[in-house]
Amino acid sequence: MSDDVILEFKNVTKKFAGVTALSDVSFSIRRGEIHGICGENGAGKSTLMKILSGVYPYGDYEGQVIYNGKELKLEEGSIRKAAEEGIAIVYQELTLVPFGTVGENIYLGKEPVELGIINWDKLYSETDALLAKYHMDVNAHTVVRHLGVGKMQMTEIAKALAENAKILILDEPTSALAESEIEQLMQILQGLKRHGVTCIYISHKLDEFFKITDSVTILRDGKTVLTSPTKKLNVESLVRHMVGREMKARFPEGNRKPGAVIFEVEDLHALDPNDTNTEIIKGVSFNLRKGEILGIAGLMGSGRTELVMTLFGEYGKINKGTIKLEGRDVKAGSASQAMRQGISLVPEDRKRHGLVLMQSILRNISMANLDRFASFLRINDAAELKESLELAKSLAIKTSNLHARADSLSGGNQQKVVISKWLMSRPKVLIMDDPTRGIDVGTKFEIYKIMNELAEQGIAIIMISSDLVEVLGMSDRVMVMHEDRSVCTLNIADANQEKIMALATGTAANSKPERSKS
Amino acid sequence: MSAISATPQETMFTKVVRQLRGNLQTYTLVVAMIVIWGLFAALTGGSYVSAQNFSNLFRQMTITAIMSVGMVLVIVTGGIDLSVGKLAGYISVWAAFLQLRVWDSIFPGQALLAAILSSIAGIGIGTLFGVIQGYIIAYLRIPAFIVTLGSMWILNGLILVRTEGKTIAANQPYFSEIGQGYLPAWLGWIIAALIVAALFGLMFTSRRRKAKYGFTLPPIGMDLAKTIFFCLLVVGYVAYVNAYRGIQNPVLILAVLAIAVSYISDNTKFGRHAYAIGGNREAARLSGINIQSNIFKIFILMGFLCGVSGVVMASYVGYGTIAAGGGYELDAIAACFLGGTSTFGGEGTVFGAMVGALIMASLVNGLQIMNVPSAWQYVVKGIVLVIAVLLDVYMKRNR
Repeated sequence: MSDDVILEFKNVTKKFAGVTALSDVSFSIRRGEIHGICGENGAGKSTLMKILSGVYPYGDYEGQVIYNGKELKLEEGSIRKAAEEGIAIVYQELTLVPFGTVGENIYLGKEPVELGIINWDKLYSETDALLAKYHMDVNAHTVVRHLGVGKMQMTEIAKALAENAKILILDEPTSALAESEIEQLMQILQGLKRHGVTCIYISHKLDEFFKITDSVTILRDGKTVLTSPTKKLNVESLVRHMVGREMKARFPEGNRKPGAVIFEVEDLHALDPNDTNTEIIKGVSFNLRKGEILGIAGLMGSGRTELVMTLFGEYGKINKGTIKLEGRDVKAGSASQAMRQGISLVPEDRKRHGLVLMQSILRNISMANLDRFASFLRINDAAELKESLELAKSLAIKTSNLHARADSLSGGNQQKVVISKWLMSRPKVLIMDDPTRGIDVGTKFEIYKIMNELAEQGIAIIMISSDLVEVLGMSDRVMVMHEDRSVCTLNIADANQEKIMALATGTAANSKPERSKS
Repeated sequence: MSAISATPQETMFTKVVRQLRGNLQTYTLVVAMIVIWGLFAALTGGSYVSAQNFSNLFRQMTITAIMSVGMVLVIVTGGIDLSVGKLAGYISVWAAFLQLRVWDSIFPGQALLAAILSSIAGIGIGTLFGVIQGYIIAYLRIPAFIVTLGSMWILNGLILVRTEGKTIAANQPYFSEIGQGYLPAWLGWIIAALIVAALFGLMFTSRRRKAKYGFTLPPIGMDLAKTIFFCLLVVGYVAYVNAYRGIQNPVLILAVLAIAVSYISDNTKFGRHAYAIGGNREAARLSGINIQSNIFKIFILMGFLCGVSGVVMASYVGYGTIAAGGGYELDAIAACFLGGTSTFGGEGTVFGAMVGALIMASLVNGLQIMNVPSAWQYVVKGIVLVIAVLLDVYMKRNR
């Protein structure tokens, strides 16, 4: 690695009507390094990236961006131009055509043509060469929608590389990945580095910066706080710089006192609703106590989400086993049925499954519970507003007005809206599928506090998480899943990262892990 | 109205500005309509805005506007209904057939009874058709576009079967009143008075309810100003149409339906769920909303409205013909889009669609008065639709 600078921001300021998103941002990135950028939501990370990608064109901001020794001047609407210059972005939300093959996607928009006809042989041979060069384990002919998230992301990265990207920007690349996939991604990034590609790495998962980056720039409130070699930092100093105050712990003190068992799942098996020959849940047993947080750990694809969606009545067809709530059999036939029996689910993907983004915060909160306010011909809008307002206040949703559209909120606050929606149905069992995905450290802490409070009120919480630190930090017990089965449930005192990973990957040394007594 | 945290720096003025901006889209439309009226008034030397033409203009919009009332909800849930024009046409043909061939032979000389029976039959056919179509779309999960396209052809054929290619007269007394009649001036004033009373009543009950739940009330002056503004609109309208022949019966029918559906769309579970389904189907499903039953009901409502529209059509035109209702579905759909309904679903109001329908009717009426050939009327209509939606998209982007 040299001191050769590939990209430099010089006093970059970007203002929106009344709001300064970036103020006097200056830092530089050396050629061939992996450069982390971290900061809370709203710190200015995405604005910075939008300048690099040409969404905010040259002249729309003050200051200079020097790229390869020349000032970068992207014109209005020239997102293609940024790519041609060698700046490529892999977004958090993947942008692939699901019905196309890996090869088609990688060469989308730049297919090799002869006389207007695509030369498929050339396309696929080049794809194979590209994938081999960076050691990406994907088949060029696989249709993208059959891939897992990790492989989709590889395809996305390969797509950027096919444009001869000099700088690859990765925006929260690991937010949807399981631990093993993250490992693969890290290896690919190391490979890119060897080939001289510069990476800008944005993430909310702080430990990743220490695993992969050479240096880190910290943004806070639109200003650069610090650029430093990663070696000179540790998690505490990173967090301190990010939030501008001392954060004592990542997890709030809880005072949870789990009570009697309220929810029991015994040897649950379920079939794929679209293909009743395939079993998607192959034997899950666990129980849940009142006021307890039960973490579910497992790799992406281990059946975690399928399990909770089935419990909520919205996915698998149960063909064996029992679900009991307060001793009574639960009929899990649909979401509304599950809700009526006291089960709520905060889904994994809040934008796709949780919110109606174009509607007001108020409507989103009350959406699932209009029964409470509705008579045949009228919704009592004053009562609706009152109850929603109380929830919004108790969860500290940051908005001046419940009539504002849901998409005007930041990710963390959107998540609070989804949680409010599900609390309104007054659940006994609250299932949360990856509740802090893509949320900044400060808001994560708030969500954890909310979870603690709910548990203290006696709600039983099931939390899925891909973040093992979170699972260990928040759960009373941890159930580990592997290949659509529950492997075992550990008391938190007996659990650690190594043990969980071993169980989740099916490589546990002790083939008969001790079952917790509860 | 419901600031989550008190914002004391918000003055009366900034509040008004904020509210105005929130409804910018609807106001743009109203402004566009007034511009069109002004333009035609100038071009026709004032005859365009005479009481007589004003009265006709509103009457002309009713048949497709009644369809638009339901079409908004269909589009909001992410569907479309291409069959409405032909369905209303088919119903108009049936109404005419019953009027001319059936009732008189069963109940000779009972013109009022015949008119009532024809209306019930027409609305019944429409509703029944809505039930069948809705069932296929909602429960058998065939895309609405395909089902309603098929229905359109089917109905086209059935119209030919019913009419046997001939025109059937539907100009009997009483029946003609539905689409062509007017209310006497005194009755018009009573209705106006009732609406004014209702508007004030609604304002006060809404304030009382807000107070009961402990919300700070908006300043009474603002609520009063709003209410008085709408009262003036109503009184002004009644005064103007009374200067010709009175409130037009079909317009009254349209107004009742539009207000009812508008209310339902905002204040009932059924309506709220429709918007949630259109906004994000998956989120709605996971919120326990029964998507199938909601869409089923919307198509039943659509069928019912087509029934009303068809009866009005038969009465208004005075006969049932093989061409009845042809192309009306596109007018109804265009009115929704003009009125700000999103092509992707989730957004759109009945009020907007009504303004959209009025703009279309105003345009066609103006061009007719100016004796513009019908070929060019189509051209102008097309240009206005695209430009209006273009403006709308542009305004939204710059909000």
